[in-house]
Amino acid sequence: MNPKLKQAFCQFKNVLSGMILLASVPTMSEAQALSDTTITIKVLGGLQFDTPRLVLKPNTRVTLILDNHDDMAHNFVLAKPSSRLKVVEEAAKLAERGAKMNYVPSSPLVIASTKIVEPGNMETISFVLDKAGQYPYVCTYPGHGYVMFGVIYVGQSYIPPFEKDTNIPESQRAGTGNEHAHHGHGMPSSPHPYPIEFPMVYRTFMPEASPAAIAVALTPTESYCWDAGKCYLRYIWTGGFVDNADQWKGNGSKLTKVEGEIYWREKQFPFTIGTKKMVSKVDFKGYKLKKRLPTFEYTFDGIKVAETLEWNESAQTITRVFMLGERTQTIFFNLPEQKSVSYTAKNGQLKNGVMAIPKTVKTFSIIIKRN
Amino acid sequence: MKRKELKQKLWKYAGVGLLMSLGNISGIAQNTSMPKDSAAMYYEVEDIPLPDGLIAETGSIGFLPDGRFVAGFHRGEIMIYNPKTRIWKRFAEGLHDPLGLLVVSNNEILVMQRPELTRIKDTDGDGEADLYQKVTDDFGLSGNYHEFAFGPVKDKQGNLFFALNLASNGAGIRPEIRGTYDSLSRPGRMYACVDYRGWIMRLDKQGKLHPYAVGFRSPNGLGFDAQGRLLVSDNQGDWLGTSKLFHVEEGKFYGHPAGLIWKKDFPRVVPISLPVAQLDSMRTKEIVQFPHGYFANSPTQPVLDNTNGKFGQFGGQMLIGDMDHKYMIRLLLEEVNGKMQGACTPLNVGSKMRIGNNRLAFAPDGALWVGQNDHGWVGARGIQRIKWKGEKHLDLMAMNLTKDGFDLTFSMPLDAESAQNVANFKFKRFYYEYHQAYGSKQFDVKEIGVKSISLSDDKTKVHVVLDDMKAGYVYEMRLGEIINANKTKRVFNSLVCYSLNQLK
Repeated sequence: MNPKLKQAFCQFKNVLSGMILLASVPTMSEAQALSDTTITIKVLGGLQFDTPRLVLKPNTRVTLILDNHDDMAHNFVLAKPSSRLKVVEEAAKLAERGAKMNYVPSSPLVIASTKIVEPGNMETISFVLDKAGQYPYVCTYPGHGYVMFGVIYVGQSYIPPFEKDTNIPESQRAGTGNEHAHHGHGMPSSPHPYPIEFPMVYRTFMPEASPAAIAVALTPTESYCWDAGKCYLRYIWTGGFVDNADQWKGNGSKLTKVEGEIYWREKQFPFTIGTKKMVSKVDFKGYKLKKRLPTFEYTFDGIKVAETLEWNESAQTITRVFMLGERTQTIFFNLPEQKSVSYTAKNGQLKNGVMAIPKTVKTFSIIIKRN
Repeated sequence: MKRKELKQKLWKYAGVGLLMSLGNISGIAQNTSMPKDSAAMYYEVEDIPLPDGLIAETGSIGFLPDGRFVAGFHRGEIMIYNPKTRIWKRFAEGLHDPLGLLVVSNNEILVMQRPELTRIKDTDGDGEADLYQKVTDDFGLSGNYHEFAFGPVKDKQGNLFFALNLASNGAGIRPEIRGTYDSLSRPGRMYACVDYRGWIMRLDKQGKLHPYAVGFRSPNGLGFDAQGRLLVSDNQGDWLGTSKLFHVEEGKFYGHPAGLIWKKDFPRVVPISLPVAQLDSMRTKEIVQFPHGYFANSPTQPVLDNTNGKFGQFGGQMLIGDMDHKYMIRLLLEEVNGKMQGACTPLNVGSKMRIGNNRLAFAPDGALWVGQNDHGWVGARGIQRIKWKGEKHLDLMAMNLTKDGFDLTFSMPLDAESAQNVANFKFKRFYYEYHQAYGSKQFDVKEIGVKSISLSDDKTKVHVVLDDMKAGYVYEMRLGEIINANKTKRVFNSLVCYSLNQLK
C-alpha cells in the first residue's frame, strides 16, 4: 500500500473504530422515549479509552462497563458539558484525600463515575442522559485527566470530523500520523535527527525471532534479521526495511513490522560439530561496523565465528562471509533447503545443503540468490 | 513529529504539571506581609535546543570527561551535545530502548538496552561508534514490553549494578524467549517467568553477573549516596501501596514477590500465593515512601549532589525525579538504630520546569541536566538544564527523629515568631498497606498535635514535640508561613513526608 493510501485507510479506520454510532442523529423536536443501551469502554495502554467518542439519542439510559486492560488503575467520570478541565482540576485539588474518593470530586459537575478500577478489572455504572449536549468523560486518576478523555454527543445535529474533533485527545485524533516511521523503499523522511543511511541496524522486537533480534538493511530494499539471542541469521527479505511506528509508540509492546517479502528463513543454528546433534552453546559477543556494515561475532561451544552479510547489486545476491576461529575438529555448516533461493559456496563444497569445514579453513562464504 | 507540534505538546505537558503542583506549593494562603519569594528567584530553568527530527523520549543521560553531554533516546539514538558550540552529533544508533548509560571515556560508554548491557565505542576516532560489544546478556527476556532494564551504576570497587523489570499482564510473552522459563512465576499482575526479572543484578569486574537483591517491580532509578549506599526507587502498583525508595543490600528481599522464584533454594511455590504476613516478615522495608498522587507518581533516578555547592546549599544530599511532577524531590535521610530512613520534600525550581523528569545528571559546572520522557504514560519530552543562581533560599536542611518528635534544621536563622507558632507545623500520619492489590489508600489517617516547639539559640533548629510517635507510619508535615530572621524569605517547599520505620 502506498503511504498516502495507507494514511487515508488509517483515518477511515479511526472513524469506524473511534465512534460507535448507536442511533441516527435525531432532530431536536423529536419526542424521545427512554431507551436503553449498554456500552463497553476498554482502557488501552498509553492512557487512552478505546472509544474516544459516542453518539446517543437524548433520553437514553446508558449501562456503561469500564473494562481496564491497562497496567495502571483508572476511573471513568462523566461530566456536564464543557466542564472536563474543571472536573480534572477539582480532582487534583483533592490531593491526599483523592485515593479514598476514587479521585472523583464531590461536584455538581459530575454526572456519573466509577470507582478506581484496577488493572484487569471491570466496573458497571448506569446513568441517564436526557438532554442534548456534548458530555465529556475523563479519567481523573492523578495525571491522567489531561490526556485520557472522550465525549458523548447527545442529540447533536453537527458532529465534527473525527480528526478535527477537539473533544478527542490529540493522539487518538491523529492516529499514528505524527509518529509514523515508514521507511525503506522510497523513504519519505527520517524518523531520526539525521538522514537515513544504509546499511543501518535496529535492535528491536522482530517477528519470527527471539526478543533479542537485530534488523539490518543493507540497502533501502534488501534486509535481514539476525538473532542475537540465538546467534544466527533468521530470515532475509526484499522490498523494504521495517516499520517501527507501533514498536516505538508508547511502551514498546508491539512488534516492528517487516516491509517487503521474506524469501529465506532458517529454523535452527547452522553449525554442528561431528555427528553430534546436541544444541551448541552459543554466546553472542556483539558487532562491529565498517562503513556502517555490521559484522556479528559469537562463539559456539567456544569456537569463534564472525559473520558479515553483503549485498551484491550487479549480481542481485547476498553473500554471507564467515570467519572462523581455532578448533580441534571438522565442523559442519547446514543450510535449509528452500525453493525460493539457490546457494553457491566459496572455499568449500555444499553437499545436500551441508558443508564440511576442516579445522584448517579460516573463512568461507555462501552466496544466496533468489530464484 | 514536527518541531512546532512537539513544542505545543511540551507546553501542554508543562501546563499539566503546573496545575498539579498548585495544591502542594500554595496550600497556605498568602499573607500580605509575607516576603515575595519563589523558587524561580533561585533557579534558572532552560530548555536545551533539540535537533530537528529527534523524538526526545529521553532514556539515559550523562557527561563525558571533556564536558560534552550524552543522551540516549527511545528510538535508539545516542546523541552527543556540545554545550559550548550547541551542536548535536550522532554517536550511536539502532539501540533497543536505551534506558540507562554510564560514561567510560570520551569515546566509550556503557548502555543498558532492553536485551543487554552493551559497550559502545568509537575505535577509529571519527566521532561515531563502530564497536557494539556485549558486556552481559546473562538474563531472561520473555518479550513482554514491561521488561525494561535500568542502570548501570558503578560502585567504588568497580562492580556494576542494573535493574530488571517485571513483565506486565497487560500483555503476554513471545513464542520465543531468551533465558529459562518458570511457569510458577507466570501468574499475577506483574510476573517474572524468566530468570532474574524483579532483581537488581551485580556484574563483577571479571564480567560475571550475579543476582544481588530481589523484590522489585519497576525500579526505574539506581544511584549511590555520599556514603556509597545503593538506593533504588520503585513504582506504586501491585505489592507497592505507594512508590518507594529502597536501600539495597545483597541477598535481601524488598517486597514484590514475583522475582522470588529465582532465589536460590526458594521453595517450589507460586510466590504470590504465599501468605501476605509471611512475605511481609521476609521483606526489608523501604527507607522512604513517596505519597502517591499529590507528592509523586513515578519516582525516577536518584542522584547525589556532589557539586560542592555549585548547585546550591544541598551538597551531599540526594535528589530524585518524578514523572508526574514539575519539581525535583529532595531526600533527607538519616540512620536510626543502624537503619536508614527519612523524608522526601519537593525542590521547586520554578514554573518553567516540565514533568517527565526521568534522568538526572550534574554537569561539570554544577548545573543539573534533566532528561524527560513519557514512554506512553504521563510525562513530557525534552531536556532541561537547571542552574542555581547563587543565592540560598529558606528550606529544610535536615529532619531528624527524636524520642518525642523531630528536630528540623533550616538553611538560615528563622524569624522567632513564625518559627514558634504551632499553626505553622501541621502534622498528620497514615500508613500504606502491603498487599497484592494495586496501590493502597492511606489507612488510619490522623492529625497529630504539636505539643511544643522550641527554637535553638542560633535560630536554625526547631525542635517539635508531637502528641504521639508510632512506627510504621508516614509522618506528613506541612509548613506554614515560616520566614527567616531578616524577614526577606519564606518557606516555599512546604510539604515534607517522613517514613518512620524505627522509633528512637
